[in-house]
Amino acid sequence: MSRIFITGIGVISAIGNSVAENHQALKDGICGVKKELNLFPSKYAGLLPFGQVPISSETLKQQLQITEKGVTRTSLLAVHALNQALQNSGLSTADIIAPETALIGANTVGGMCLTDELYADANTKESGSEYTSSYDCASVNLFLQKHYKMNGIINTINTACSSSANAIMYGAMLMQNGFAKRAIVGGTDSLAKFTINGFNALHILSPDNCTPFDEGRQGLNLGEGAAFLVLEREEDINGKKVYAELTGYCNTNDAYHPSSLSDEGDGPFLSMQGALKLANLNVDKIDFINAHGTATENNDRVESMAMIRLFDKPPAFASTKGNIGHTLGAAGAIEAVYSILSLLYQEVYANLHFKNPIAATGLSPVQSYKKMPVNHVMSNSFGFGGNCSSLIFSKI
Amino acid sequence: MLYIHKTYCISPQQNPLQDDMDLINEPANKKLLAIEPSYDQIPPGILRRMGKAIRMGVGTALPLIDQANPVYGIIIGSANAGLDECVKFLMQIVDYEEGQLTPGNFVQSTGNVIAGQLGLISKNKGYNITHIHQGLAFENALIDAVMQLNANPSKSYLLGGVDEISPYHYNIETLNGAYKKEDISNKELYKSESAGCLPGEGAAMFVVNANAGSAIAAVKAIHTLHTDNVDLVKLQLQLFLKKNAATQIDLLISGENGDNRTLPFYTNAESLLPDDASIVRFKHLCGEFATASAIGLWYACEIMQTQKVPALMFKKKSSKTIYRNILLYNNFKGYQHSFILISSDK
Repeated sequence: MSRIFITGIGVISAIGNSVAENHQALKDGICGVKKELNLFPSKYAGLLPFGQVPISSETLKQQLQITEKGVTRTSLLAVHALNQALQNSGLSTADIIAPETALIGANTVGGMCLTDELYADANTKESGSEYTSSYDCASVNLFLQKHYKMNGIINTINTACSSSANAIMYGAMLMQNGFAKRAIVGGTDSLAKFTINGFNALHILSPDNCTPFDEGRQGLNLGEGAAFLVLEREEDINGKKVYAELTGYCNTNDAYHPSSLSDEGDGPFLSMQGALKLANLNVDKIDFINAHGTATENNDRVESMAMIRLFDKPPAFASTKGNIGHTLGAAGAIEAVYSILSLLYQEVYANLHFKNPIAATGLSPVQSYKKMPVNHVMSNSFGFGGNCSSLIFSKI
Repeated sequence: MLYIHKTYCISPQQNPLQDDMDLINEPANKKLLAIEPSYDQIPPGILRRMGKAIRMGVGTALPLIDQANPVYGIIIGSANAGLDECVKFLMQIVDYEEGQLTPGNFVQSTGNVIAGQLGLISKNKGYNITHIHQGLAFENALIDAVMQLNANPSKSYLLGGVDEISPYHYNIETLNGAYKKEDISNKELYKSESAGCLPGEGAAMFVVNANAGSAIAAVKAIHTLHTDNVDLVKLQLQLFLKKNAATQIDLLISGENGDNRTLPFYTNAESLLPDDASIVRFKHLCGEFATASAIGLWYACEIMQTQKVPALMFKKKSSKTIYRNILLYNNFKGYQHSFILISSDK
């Protein structure tokens, strides 16, 4: 089977509009999660912290020179990140439009960031808004397909908060099974009244900045952003710059509850174990875990227990949810980029706002930026519906 | 690529299908609604909270993956699973001005809800994924199943497609001009020369593995593309047939849906067939929806297994009575196209 190399990365989040800006902010321990929300009117604006990308949709449209009607913020964030990844990888237009180039994108809100518009369109029999074809999640990738004039396999995946980790996996599998030569993979999601109220109804939104893996954690912060990666096969590289190798991946289900993980953490345990097996690595080879670490009571406890169960003494780990919030369908892809930065610069970034370890586990995440040898990084993503995915990125 | 061993389907028609066009179920309020069974395998407490797409998906899958027949993973294609719950939750948000809301609809609103529920109910901790790419959601699930079997050739997987016509989805798609404006019987669907299709719904599930022995059918090849270019689709289909089975197609299962905007794609496909191939259609039975190709594949399996085609499906009946190679060509909104080659060859 072909080795899968990452030859391009692009990201936009609450802490930066580019890979370089995100990298600097991670090093500096910047928190982009603030009690500010001006994308749409909401009673939670100013009350709850959000990881908002501080650029309006109008400005994004202008910057990206997108003039079509009906393009949602979710798609705009995706185009912003995808442009970077493509430029970064140096793929030619011919490469991008080739039938051998796949596009696999994930998102969970699609055009539902326009909660009020959807409400109106779902209830009118008269004339709809410009967004009537843009609400579902697939509309994002249908737009991207048209925008970049792509001709390969196009897909949209939704496994809730692990969606874009699965998009990365699916792209890699297409390449290893001869369905594609290269794949552009990633995820995007924008803040939405819909998800804010949904997570709030579940009582898992933190009133203050989230504190992943802290004993006193009070829940998650929602964020937004997008990240895309260009995957190419080893045999097609021709001396171009390679950021990292995707060596392991695994998708499992916890099969316990629609919106929480089991105490045993079988799903997380099996996804981490499966990724190691595919990468043919022993547990002691993982230098760092980019944890899912949402800062909910349930996730951080179960993820910690599963790490202990698999690794006995888990390696260095941290969550970046304190920097950017939980970006849902974009999280797996954004954190893949962050994992690759750790490999590239041989460093790990601080898990923000941590004070005390969870009593039951005694585990403390990385608390300050530091240089260290990093050869293999595991990145975890877990979601509603019991969906668990782990990826392993390795240094080239 | 893969072998289909077990199938189950919930659609607007009774199974097995009658030969007589007079006996088929007709649309109610312009929609072809699925006939649901009593769902005995779903615990009543869970069933009560499920939306129709979730019920249909879970209810179609469970008879195939009981405890005696576990599968290694669950691969679902669904364009709009959870959308009904999604809009219900959204109504709460707007109507109660972001007040204290109940999370039930929100939890069931995620696109992966059917695969998630199936994992939960069948205690399946393996591969679990939901492809939601509209008119190619099921096709991507099928490609995924092929790849999972390449990695785990001794295992079986559940593969399925499911979608419902929820009231809100119907409204929005009406605004998009997807459906016929006039009232039309499905019995007259193909006589229609107007724009728009007849909305439908349903679920089809398959147990697939790499084992040829006692299989119902094999999926030999699949190709997908995105384009509104009629000539390009014809060219691609030509290449697909050349590569895979040029002269051997016995039967085309056409996704023709009574929409004059998509008809040219289907007539083009017919023009590429050998003279002695038969042509059948199924959208007058299940209506049009994003994952209707899953129902098309289910009909292919029925035809393969029984070597009989219900008379009311024929568009063109040739003298051939043995069906060994079936081409399923479908498109969604004239933009998302798929070619699937189904064969009895082992």
